Amino acid sequence: MTTITASTTAPPRARKLVGAGRRQWIGLLYVAPAVALVMVFFVIPLGMTAWMSLHNWPLMGEHAFIGLDNYWAILRDTRFWNALKFTGYYTVVVTIAIFAVAFPLAIFIEKPRPLTNLYRTFFFMPAVVGFASASLLWSWLLNVDSGLFSPAAYDLGLIDKKFNLLATFQPAFWSIIAMVVWKVAGFTMIILMTGLQSIPQDLQEAAVIDGAGPFARFRAITLPLMRRTLALALILSVAGSILAFDQFYIILRGGPRNQTLTAVYWIFNQSFVSFKLGYGAALSMVLLVILVALSLIQLWLLRKPEGLD
Amino acid sequence: MRNLIAKLALTAAVLGGGLGTAAADTANIWVRADGSNFMPRIVDAYNKAHKDQIKLDIIPNAEIIPKYGAAAAGGTAPDALSLDLIYTPSFAAAGQLEDITDWAKSLPYFASLSPAHVKTGTYKDHIYGLPFSADASVLIWNKKLFKQAGLDPEKGPTNWAEIAADAEKVNALGGNIKGFYFSGNCGGCNIFTFTPLIWASGGDILSADGSKATLDSPQLRGAIDLYRSMVKKDLVPAGAQTDTGANFFAAFAAGNIGISPSGAFAIGALNTQYPNVDYGVTFLPGKDGGWSSFAGGDNFVVTKGTKKLAVVKEFLDFAYSLEGQTILAKYGSLPVRGDIAKDALKDLDPRYQIAAEAMAKGKTPYSVVFNDLINSANGPWTQMINEVFFGDDVDGAIANAQETMQSIIDQAPQK
Repeated sequence: MTTITASTTAPPRARKLVGAGRRQWIGLLYVAPAVALVMVFFVIPLGMTAWMSLHNWPLMGEHAFIGLDNYWAILRDTRFWNALKFTGYYTVVVTIAIFAVAFPLAIFIEKPRPLTNLYRTFFFMPAVVGFASASLLWSWLLNVDSGLFSPAAYDLGLIDKKFNLLATFQPAFWSIIAMVVWKVAGFTMIILMTGLQSIPQDLQEAAVIDGAGPFARFRAITLPLMRRTLALALILSVAGSILAFDQFYIILRGGPRNQTLTAVYWIFNQSFVSFKLGYGAALSMVLLVILVALSLIQLWLLRKPEGLD
Repeated sequence: MRNLIAKLALTAAVLGGGLGTAAADTANIWVRADGSNFMPRIVDAYNKAHKDQIKLDIIPNAEIIPKYGAAAAGGTAPDALSLDLIYTPSFAAAGQLEDITDWAKSLPYFASLSPAHVKTGTYKDHIYGLPFSADASVLIWNKKLFKQAGLDPEKGPTNWAEIAADAEKVNALGGNIKGFYFSGNCGGCNIFTFTPLIWASGGDILSADGSKATLDSPQLRGAIDLYRSMVKKDLVPAGAQTDTGANFFAAFAAGNIGISPSGAFAIGALNTQYPNVDYGVTFLPGKDGGWSSFAGGDNFVVTKGTKKLAVVKEFLDFAYSLEGQTILAKYGSLPVRGDIAKDALKDLDPRYQIAAEAMAKGKTPYSVVFNDLINSANGPWTQMINEVFFGDDVDGAIANAQETMQSIIDQAPQK
């Protein structure tokens, strides 16, 4: 009898163990495609980049191991640091500009009112255009001889001589800012809108009953409760701006007079104009470290304060 | 755009055509998009007449160098390449090319091959590249506008003062019409059309072996003054300041420009695409007469270690025949064999003769870092020309470019 009980209780146990092992295997199988993608398209290329950055690696011919020489060269590469400085300046300006436009738009389209969907679509539209196509479009709009802005202003009699917007730094830089805001603000607006909509209506109503004005409500309720949304929008905007390349390459070619060379543009030039792939890889690693550090700082700044849940 | 579609269609046709010929030996050749007019025709003619075949790929201009580098690293490089001649020294220096010295010197017509091509094709006394296609820089003027402005439509400018005076007269017609055009933010365009003005006056921007930058010369300053004075007098459209080369040809082709430095390619392009523009072709003059030209085009180079050397040689031999040279000339390249150039051009537009003469005496700067110095949109040459033509500080711009160019030359890999 005891032997029978033993034999009847044992199998379910064994089956359970096998089942747990199998479930784990099935779990692994489920994530395998994602892991494979990340390995092939992120981890291996990243490792390869790090490996290349330790070499003198020309586009053609033999490559040679040179240790950290590329990184020492970066320290003396004033044009890279200038490019990084410009990238930082651009990132600050464009991020402020995007939020200054996207936030009011988000507040405007958040509440249901007539034609809201039309406005949402309308504001979001430019976001679905690729950066390269948008840059080509604007490079035509900004053209002094056959474009839109300058010839239109001239034909309307606003200016008495056609003005080349792309010939000097300030107008060229602000033209790019305008283009990027036009292109990106709609996307940021949608992110901010979801944050606004997740704020419970009764909180706002309670504040109104307590006599809080719109600015007080915005500062004390809206902003704190949108912390996470803001963090997401901010990190996306900052990361996107630090990696800016297309618009400066296509519209300005880094001009006027190389004043709008961004960090990625400089990496591209070193790798594919000067054919120094190893040096380009080292620059990429430096930029990656900077970007990760900046993202961590932003997450830390926008972390949830103690005691608030 | 129409042009691009035509090029793509041609590529597709050529790729498709290459598939049906598996029996004989097939060599793969690349050419940049600039050659998309004549290259498929000469390959077709070769394939029809020979058992061995050529498979041609046309690659966009800006991508052919990185693409070739990547292919070479991965072991899938084409057997041969029609390469912008200025890149031959750096490719040879990288150890990427087959040494073809013995074969080249065995050609009976070796001595009459375009000297500018052979010079850039030679690295440390070995020959790695031979001329394939050619383009020389010339000055073109709009005869209709010259006539309207009261100038002799058959006589182009022969020195700098005449360029400025003629441009001013044409510009006086007013409206959309402007006297002069150049791409003011394009290094490649200006090495091609602006430096000949300096050469023709006895100056240069690089020493003969490419080891010294020699920007600070009275000839360069004189040529800068010519362009600056025309910009100041408003003879040049405002768009020139930011033109990175997109309008290099298109501006003149629209018919509103009096004079523009250009290339021999413009003759074929104007004749076929803009038959209504009546234009003349002359040499790029020096300050007080004389002339010079940039000898450009492609060198034919062979990838090191290719197994199809015999086919490649046979193809190049065919390209050098009178038949091959005639096909080249007919579809937009100048002949590269001096001894039969006249025969190849015999039935073509007589304006080609000027360009062919310009080619024969043309010059090409020699440098293993040409791309960094000159062609790069962010290099010292491009930055300098934009500053000196349109900016306020000519001296500072020249000094800065001189210093940057010399440091790039000095940092180049010494092999």
